[in-house]
Amino acid sequence: MANDKPEPKRPLIRVSDFDFYYGEKQALFDINMDMKENEVTAFIGPSGCGKSTLLRCINRMNDLVEVARIGRGKIEVNGADIYDPRVDTIELRKRVGMVFQKSNPFPKSIYENVIYGLRIQGINKKPVLDEAVERCLKGAALWDEVKDRLDTSGLSLSGGQQQRLCIARALAVEPDILLMDEPCSALDPVATAKVEELIHSLKNDYTIVIVTHNMQQAARVSDKTAFFYLGKLIEMAKTDEIFMSPKNEQTEAYISGRFG
Amino acid sequence: MTKEAETNRYDLHSRSRRILGLDKDQALKGLFGGNALVSIIVLALITFFLFKEGAGFFGQYRHEIELYRRSGLEYVEIMKEESSSYTELNRYLNSIKGEHATMLKEQGLSFSEAKAELASYEDFIYDFEDLGYPLSEYVLEMNEIAIGARDMYVESANYREHRENLLALGRDEEAAEVEVLDVDLSLFVGMLKEGEPDFLAINDKLAAGIERLTSDLPTIGVAKLDEKMQRFRQLALMFVAEMEGYETRLKEWDSQAPVGMGVAFASFVFGKDWVTNSSIQDWYGILPLFTGSLLVASIAMVIAIPLGVGAAIYINQVATPAEQNFIKPYIEFISAIPSVVIGFFGIAVFGEFVRRASGWAIFSGFDIFPISERLTAFTAGCLLALMAIPTIFTLAEDAINNVPKAFKEASLAMGATRLQTTMRIIVPTSLSGIISAILLGFGRVIGETMVVLLCAGNRIEIPDFTNGVATFFEPVHTMTGIIAQELGEVVNGSIHYRALFMVGMVLFLLSLLINYLAQKIVLKYQISRG
Ligand SMILES: Nc1ncnc2c1ncn2[C@@H]1O[C@H](COP(=O)(O)OP(=O)(O)OP(=O)(O)O)[C@@H](O)[C@H]1O
Ligand SMILES: [Mg+2]
Repeated sequence: MANDKPEPKRPLIRVSDFDFYYGEKQALFDINMDMKENEVTAFIGPSGCGKSTLLRCINRMNDLVEVARIGRGKIEVNGADIYDPRVDTIELRKRVGMVFQKSNPFPKSIYENVIYGLRIQGINKKPVLDEAVERCLKGAALWDEVKDRLDTSGLSLSGGQQQRLCIARALAVEPDILLMDEPCSALDPVATAKVEELIHSLKNDYTIVIVTHNMQQAARVSDKTAFFYLGKLIEMAKTDEIFMSPKNEQTEAYISGRFG
Repeated sequence: MTKEAETNRYDLHSRSRRILGLDKDQALKGLFGGNALVSIIVLALITFFLFKEGAGFFGQYRHEIELYRRSGLEYVEIMKEESSSYTELNRYLNSIKGEHATMLKEQGLSFSEAKAELASYEDFIYDFEDLGYPLSEYVLEMNEIAIGARDMYVESANYREHRENLLALGRDEEAAEVEVLDVDLSLFVGMLKEGEPDFLAINDKLAAGIERLTSDLPTIGVAKLDEKMQRFRQLALMFVAEMEGYETRLKEWDSQAPVGMGVAFASFVFGKDWVTNSSIQDWYGILPLFTGSLLVASIAMVIAIPLGVGAAIYINQVATPAEQNFIKPYIEFISAIPSVVIGFFGIAVFGEFVRRASGWAIFSGFDIFPISERLTAFTAGCLLALMAIPTIFTLAEDAINNVPKAFKEASLAMGATRLQTTMRIIVPTSLSGIISAILLGFGRVIGETMVVLLCAGNRIEIPDFTNGVATFFEPVHTMTGIIAQELGEVVNGSIHYRALFMVGMVLFLLSLLINYLAQKIVLKYQISRG
C-alpha cells in the first residue's frame, strides 16, 4: 500500500452483493458493506444470523467447509477480488489474520507459539525471531506477564493470557487486517478489559473486524457497527449513531434488549 | 393437580424398577465390574498356567547339563570342535578345486583335459584329507564312550525309578526282579581322560603334517586361485596355532565342576542353539528364535510404519470424503483376512515372486541377488507388514483425529499450507498416539504365528548379521513358530515341553512390556494436552 494516501480513509474491505450458502441453505443474503482502513468494525446480531460466516469469508476460512459456496457477489480486500481463482489463500491469510472465539494456542512453548507464522515462512534466524517475540507480545500486552517463562507451554497460561497469546501470534505475520470472532466471550471482565484496551491500541496499525454479543463492548471498541439479522445486513453506521439513534426498528429492538 | 400428585412430587425415593434388588446404576456397575473381574481372572489363570508349566524347566535343564558334563560329553565336544574346524579347512581346499573346475569348463576344455589340469594338485588335497583321519577316528571313538555312558546312566535311572514306584505300590516281589546296575560315570570319564596322551600325540602328528604339507604348496597357475591357496596356508597355520587352546581346555576340564542354576539360565537366555531330539545332547537356547522373531518383526515394521502412518495422515488430512469412504474400510478389511490365508498366499505366490524378482536385471547390480530361498525373513516380514498396517492405520488415524480442530484452523489462518499444518501441528500433537499405535502394531506382529510358521523358512539359526542386507533373505525361525510347530509332538511334562512354555513366557512378557509402554505413552500424551 505504498501509494496510499492516509486521508481520506478508503475501504480496505469491500463486500458487494454477496450471497453465501451452506449446501442448499442460504446463510448470507445480498450483503453490501465497506470496512475502512484503521477502523474497528463491530458485527452484532442474534445467534445464527451469519456474523461468523461473513467474517470467515473474508479470509476464506470457509473454504474448509465442504458444502460452503458463494452464490453471487464478491469480496475485495485492498481492491483485489479474493475469490478470484488466481488468488493464493496462503498469501491472503498472511494479510488477513484471525483470532478465534475459543483461544487455541498450539501445544508448544509461548515462544514457539508467537513465531509459528514466521517459522512456516522459513524464517529461522534467532535474532529476528527474538525481536518478533518481544514486539508481538508487547503489542498484545502480554510481555510483562510472560517474559520470564517464554519456554513454558502456551497451554499453561490463563484463558485471558491465552487469548492475548493468540493475538500476539496473529500479529507476528504482520497482517493488515485482524478478524476477531467473539474474542472475549470466554474471558472475565478484567481480561476482557485488557483485550479491549489492546484493540484500541491496535487500531492505529490494523484494520479490525470484531464479532461480539456484548453491546457495551461494541460501543466501547468500535467505530462502525453492523447489525445482522437472519443472514441480512440490516443496518450499518457509525457506532454512536447506531446506539443513539438507530434508523431501523429491529436494530433498536436488538440493542435495547427487547428483541425476541 | 390432585392432592396425591402433589405429595408424590415430593417423594424423592427412586421409582425406577429394581433388578435383583439393585437399582439401575448398581446393576450396570455390577455388570461391567463383573466383566472386568472375569478378564482379570482369566489373565491371572493364563499367567499362572504358563508359570506352572514353565517353572520346572530350569531345574530339569540344569540336571541335563550336569549329566552332559559328568558323562564326559562336554569333554568330547571340545575335541569335536577341533575336528570340525579341520573339516572346514578341507572344505576350503575343495572349493578351490571346484572353482578351478568350473573355470576350465567355461574355457571349453573337455572333461579329460580338465581332469588332467586338476590332477597336478589333487594329490595334495587327498594328502591333506588323510592327515585328519586319525583325529576324526579318535573323536568318534570317544564319542561312543561318552554317549554309551550317558545312555546307560539314564537307563539305570529309569529302572531305579520303576523299582521305587513298584515298592511304593507294595509290589515288592516284582520290584526285586527289576535289576538296576549302578553306573559309575567317573569310570567312563576316566577312560576318556586316559586317552588324553594319545590325543596329544595325534595332535602333534597332525600339526607336523600340516606344516610339512603347507611348506610346499602346489601352484595352480591361476593368480586368483593361487592367492586362495596362500590364504589356505594361513588358515591351516592358524588352525595349528589354535590346537594348543583345545589341548589346554581338555586338560583343565573337570567332570565334577558344579553346574549351577545360572548355567541353565544362561544357556536358555543366551544359548545359540535350539537342538531337539538329538542323540547326543538337546539344547534349548532361545537366542536364534528371539533374534528370528525380532528380525521378521523389524522388517515388517520398517514396511508397515511408513505405510500405516502415511495412510492415516492421508486419510485424515488430505483425502476427499469419497476416498475416505473407500480406503478406510478397505484397509480395515485386510485385518479380516485369516492369517492362514495370508500365509498360504505367501507360500504359493509371494515367496516365489520375490525369488524370481530378485533375478531381474534391475537388481543385477547387487551381488546378494538373485536369492535362492523362497521362504525367508523378508517374505514373512512383508506379509506381517500387511497384517500390522490395519492396526497401525486405525490407531494412528484415531490419534490424528483427536487433535483439536482448532489447532488446524489456527495454523491455516496464519497462512500455513496444508502440508505445513500436518507436519508442524497435527503430527507433533498426535505423536504419542502414533507411537503407541506403532507399538501395538509391533505387538501384533511379534505375536503372529501362522504367517511366520508358513513363510519364514523355519531354519533355526541366529541370522548372520555380518552379511548385511543378505541377512534379510535368510530363512529364520521364530518364537511363535516353534511353539506351534513343536508343542504338538512333545511329551507332556518333558523338558522340551517345558522349554516351549518358557518361550511362551518370554513372548508373554514381551507383549506385556509393549502394552505397558504404549499405555504409558498415551497417558503422557493426555497430560501434555492439559
Ligand atoms: N459449517 C457449517 N455448515 C452448515 N451450516 C452452517 C455451518 N456453519 C454455520 N452454519 C449455519 O449458518 C448460519 C449462520 O451461522 P454463523 O455461525 O455465521 O452464525 P453467527 O451469527 O456467528 O452465530 P453466533 O452468534 O451463535 O456465533 C447458521 O444457521 C448456521 O446453522
Ligand atoms: Mg459465530
